[in-house]
Amino acid sequence: MTRLLDGVRVFELGIAIASPNAGRILAFHGAEVFKVESPTSPDVVRLIGSAWLRDDEERAAAWPDSSPYVPEMNANKRSVALDLKHPGGRAAARELLASCDVFLANFGARALADLGLDYESVREVRPDIVYVHLPGFGSDPEAPYYPFVAWGPNQAPLVGLDDLTGHAGREPAGIATVAPPDYLSSFHAAWAVLAGLEQRDRTGDGVQVDISQFETTISLLLGPFAMDHALTGNAQSRIGNRSLWWAPEGVYPCRGEERWIAISVTDDDAWRALAGLGRPGWADDERFATNDDRLANVDAVDDELAAWTAGFDAVDLAARLQQVGVAAHVVATNEDILHDAHVTGSGFYTVRPGTRFRRELFGGSPLRMSETPGRWDVAGPSSGEHTVEALTSVAGMAADDVDALVADSGAFVMDDPELTLQRPYEDFLHILFPGEAPDGRDL
Amino acid sequence: MAADDAVATNGNRPYEGVRVVDLSSLPGAYGARLFAATGADVVKVEPPGGNAMRRLGPFVDGAPEPEGSLWWAYLAMGCRSVVVDVESDDGHRQLRDLLSSADVVLDDNGPDVLDERGLGYAATVETNPGVVWVSITPFGLTGPKRSWASSNLVTLAASGILYTVGFEDQPPVCPGGPAQVAMHATALNAAMGAALGLRGRRLTGRGQLIDLSMAEVALSMAPETGVPVFLDDRVHRARSGNRRGLSRPFGLYPCADGYVSILVLMPRHWEHIATWVHEVCDNESIIDPVFADMAVRSETMELVDSWVEELTTSMTVLDFFTEAQRRGIPVSPVNTVESLRTDPHLDAVGFWSSVELPAGGEAAVPGPPFRDNAGWWHLGRAPRLGEHTAEVLEPGGP
Repeated sequence: MTRLLDGVRVFELGIAIASPNAGRILAFHGAEVFKVESPTSPDVVRLIGSAWLRDDEERAAAWPDSSPYVPEMNANKRSVALDLKHPGGRAAARELLASCDVFLANFGARALADLGLDYESVREVRPDIVYVHLPGFGSDPEAPYYPFVAWGPNQAPLVGLDDLTGHAGREPAGIATVAPPDYLSSFHAAWAVLAGLEQRDRTGDGVQVDISQFETTISLLLGPFAMDHALTGNAQSRIGNRSLWWAPEGVYPCRGEERWIAISVTDDDAWRALAGLGRPGWADDERFATNDDRLANVDAVDDELAAWTAGFDAVDLAARLQQVGVAAHVVATNEDILHDAHVTGSGFYTVRPGTRFRRELFGGSPLRMSETPGRWDVAGPSSGEHTVEALTSVAGMAADDVDALVADSGAFVMDDPELTLQRPYEDFLHILFPGEAPDGRDL
Repeated sequence: MAADDAVATNGNRPYEGVRVVDLSSLPGAYGARLFAATGADVVKVEPPGGNAMRRLGPFVDGAPEPEGSLWWAYLAMGCRSVVVDVESDDGHRQLRDLLSSADVVLDDNGPDVLDERGLGYAATVETNPGVVWVSITPFGLTGPKRSWASSNLVTLAASGILYTVGFEDQPPVCPGGPAQVAMHATALNAAMGAALGLRGRRLTGRGQLIDLSMAEVALSMAPETGVPVFLDDRVHRARSGNRRGLSRPFGLYPCADGYVSILVLMPRHWEHIATWVHEVCDNESIIDPVFADMAVRSETMELVDSWVEELTTSMTVLDFFTEAQRRGIPVSPVNTVESLRTDPHLDAVGFWSSVELPAGGEAAVPGPPFRDNAGWWHLGRAPRLGEHTAEVLEPGGP
């Protein structure tokens, strides 16, 4: 079946998440995404590796391919390894760019300019390029933070998310383990590419879209609070798990160690339904009669609820609450998700062959399209796996010239392609894919 | 300026000529806003009591619902408002006609709700085969949880993200709290789905149904809390407060007037911050080469943190941030709504603009999420309830 972005070529210069995740979404829908990377200045996903391969010198060539983030961020892509500081490597990049429709990058603006990959330079090579970049602080050299370094985990505090995270009156809890702003920027980038292609196909003109991650996330998340501050001087800050709008909403303890349930009672119907399952008296307690009453007595309703939930298994209680229409879910751990029949039955996780690994497991896309679905073909590439193929068949270079460039370290090919491995978790895949072999092989 | 005022038509706005019929609330709103800003005619269909967003505070002082909500005032910018009472025969027909005219429909009513009224995708596609229908539901249109209810908090709980945020001595805590991260992430995915669907229609002439699950959106934003990463390393992700054990300094540190986020992983970053602490605090120990090893700093984290805090607490957030960046250390302020409103960079790039409010008056608003060189972005104020009912339902009428 054809896919929506078949025939669209993307030149991607990405690090970590913000740009790679956008490229991956495009690749899922059929775009031919060239991940241009360099072993001399690698993407962090090549450095993270996998704990079980650490200090394994015999299989060291597999290390850059072994992080689960390689397929999580780069499935379906092709890897073209070039040294962009090498004149020949840079010339090869320009040849490849000439046959690409989209340029996508989250290198800093200054780094892109130094590499001759700023918009003006790229447009010389490809006049109708859809050029989408995600510098931390924008591309205006006159702007105060232009030269500043923006690293992923600093994004959430920068845009105000950490201040909004935590219990009222306590220090900010921060968002240490996950990185929402990177993903939110990546979604904007993928949307901007689609809008840019729409415009280009209609008018013939390319476009430059500058996604300053600082501005993007504030624009997405803080509008109402910024307006409120402008009007009243009130600066919204963290309020734990409570809602500004209804009560009770929160995280309550359940039976067992570190077991919690999230519950949102969003209207009076939901409260009556909950009260029907809960303590006798709740339904008639006038402190809790209406949403306004519950907001006014939020400490009391939270305390009552927490004392009640503590006697239940979290998964079981969530199902019982949902049966009567109350929004609730176990605060899921990694292991809860592994054993969640809704998730495992949904096809969200997928197994595909990789070059280094026999089978790779990775997460999918939430966009289920009835007529033109996306598709995962292969797991993320090994660094340099497609250098020769892309430079000859796409960029149109002579095979001898590519060989010479590789010999001169301007380009790189996959290290030790004969070394293939199995993930240690292969024996557990049947939990995720009960009774089926998702890639056509026996589990 | 209202959405129906003349907007310069430069032929370059990607979604000019596209009509989005938006039946959704918070889970679709930001996506609708992106289309409105880039040329689409976004018609918000509201029940007589108004869209659910109109009931969400904060409100403009003295102006409650339906016009006072700042969520509405921000997220409905550039859209038109049509009031339709689907309980009435006229209203049912009006909505059916609107759906027939739609290029894109955003629907968060839940599985089956509109189908049961003959107003869902299946009924609409009969008269409008090109419709791109984005169904936004808590857990998707299939599977054991298809009928489950949700919220921002419940979505984050289901994805594993919530479990990883917070201090060890307190319950897990909602990342981004009242900012509704999962809702906005869902709306962004709805916009991507709609854009993909429109491309599909241009290429094939056919529309389609796009089944978007809020829970899967959250799952797709956090490989850390999902299955593949966990199966590979068998590490249960759990909350660790606002610092991480991998290195030090890594996380949030107190300043004289707030907090900064410091992220020292690379050897050169450690060298820079150690030199700085040494200079300012007269600390000889911190420049001992033994601490260049990230693992050593991790083992002696309390000591290293106390040295770093001696420096951070002696400075303001803005001074520490700018000096750290000058020295090449990845540091950011832990910004508050207030500090962002006075941030020198945002001010210099003209980020903040002003918009008229549906309730009257004006307020400062964040600028666009991106800057394009083709003149895509234009957004007027949010509509008042039913402001465009007549002109939309009776074209050519008053």
